[in-house]
Amino acid sequence: MDVSPPADRTERRRLATRRVLTHLAIFACVLLVWEAAAWSGIADPLLYPQPSAIAASIVRIFFVQGNIWWHLWVTMHEVIVGFFVGTLLGISLAVAAGLSEILRRYMKPYVIIMEATPRIALGPLMIAWLGFGFSSKLAIIALVCFFAPFVNTLTGLLMADEDRMEMMRSMRATKRQIFWKLMLPAAMPIIMAGIRLAMASALAGALVAEFISANHGMGVLLTRYTQSLNMPSAFASLLTLTAIGFFLYRTMEIIEARIIFWQNDAEMHRVAKRRGAAWSSA
Amino acid sequence: MAAVLKSEARAAVDAAARPNVLEGERVTKRFSETVVALEDATFSVPEGSFVSLVGPSGCGKSTLLRMVAGLIPMTSGTLAVRGEEVKAPRTDVGMMFQKATLLDWRTAVENVLLPTELAGRTTDADRKRAIELLHLVGLEDFEFAFPRQLSGGMQQRVSLARLLQTGADILLLDEPFGALDEFTRERMNIELLRIVDGIGATVLFVTHNIAEAIFLADQVMVMTPRPGRLAKVVDVPFARPREIDLITTAEFNEIVAEVRGILGGH
Repeated sequence: MDVSPPADRTERRRLATRRVLTHLAIFACVLLVWEAAAWSGIADPLLYPQPSAIAASIVRIFFVQGNIWWHLWVTMHEVIVGFFVGTLLGISLAVAAGLSEILRRYMKPYVIIMEATPRIALGPLMIAWLGFGFSSKLAIIALVCFFAPFVNTLTGLLMADEDRMEMMRSMRATKRQIFWKLMLPAAMPIIMAGIRLAMASALAGALVAEFISANHGMGVLLTRYTQSLNMPSAFASLLTLTAIGFFLYRTMEIIEARIIFWQNDAEMHRVAKRRGAAWSSA
Repeated sequence: MAAVLKSEARAAVDAAARPNVLEGERVTKRFSETVVALEDATFSVPEGSFVSLVGPSGCGKSTLLRMVAGLIPMTSGTLAVRGEEVKAPRTDVGMMFQKATLLDWRTAVENVLLPTELAGRTTDADRKRAIELLHLVGLEDFEFAFPRQLSGGMQQRVSLARLLQTGADILLLDEPFGALDEFTRERMNIELLRIVDGIGATVLFVTHNIAEAIFLADQVMVMTPRPGRLAKVVDVPFARPREIDLITTAEFNEIVAEVRGILGGH
């Protein structure tokens, strides 16, 4: 809620506009310097293409040739499916381990070994076992996405504070009720942090998997462009990946704010208002 | 609501006339061979009385409360609520903690409704009662606030409303206002007295503040540490309702001195 006087608000908006304009101006300067460096020969345009060439490449690979779409689809498909499989496996296994002390004890050495192993090093093995196609990529990404949600979920579940546990028990809550109404929601913030990490590694995992061996995907496209010294297109592909990464990150942020609304002031106020309204209409 | 507000002001101290709702005999809790949290505590609590447990850290007062709540087992002795041995948490016994122990993702009224929800289906009557209880503890206009939007004192008010929502009439309060500042605590104590008098509940109140223990209670169980022992039960003869001025009277300070004397010997 903005309670400041209107004059103050226009002033703030003016400042914000000016800040955006300054950012744009600096960005334009960087592009100009880069462009000039390429023109003057300080930077070899063959290896470091000028912004205008990259822009032209973006238009070409997206709209003229349109060849990037297929690769983008292949990679995103791997990323999304692998992310869901890895994250869900990680969370479910952590829930099982969180609820059973015995399972936790016997799982621990394997978890430590797996954690010490760089997961991406299993990439070539996965490809040997599962082939060059989708299933090996799915396995690699799922593996890369598994650990952060697993470790965080387990940590979060075991962190439940003793006082609130006693409070639940004093009200004769069953184990199931304690899990659903206390342990899981209390662990949500740290679980979500794990999921966000997994999302970030999913894209990286997919690219590395495609670098190792694949016939389609953004990793393949990037390798091909670089090897044929088509640098403007390689940069265009890279920028596309940056945009995708940003989009995934923002999406996760929005989902996270909704799920753990009680840690976000704006969301909390919204939910409070909504629940109040739902109550009086019921 | 009639049951909640049953305005049946507690008669002064006619403890002997009322049946005991809680009886402990040689209640002992050992955490290990050498760590004795509570040794041979024998006591009884008459229905509707307010009993304070006072003593320094390690005197076993919180341990005793948790055993009455059925949260931890005893090592030896017997402990009975309404003639039945305590083996697990009971519906007529409720507990409140030093921390508000609210669930951050639930609004105040949803927190108050938690015990109802745990016990089964929530009816419209339950919802109505939860709102009324929030008003009773002085939280009009905060029914749909989340705990993080409330001050420490207000969070404890929600916690008290939640305790009342359980329908328990034996209330175990473990330093419920210990984390609050002096002024808020004083105000909360007076309101607590008003509320428990109103519903005729039996209260066990743990504190390490001697004046607070005496001001609130009909009886003060004075406890000493290493090993935890119930040193003496001191009667507090003042009529109710009590005003805060009471703590400046000579009679009040005599009792303070007596309790201090018992604790000082240890």
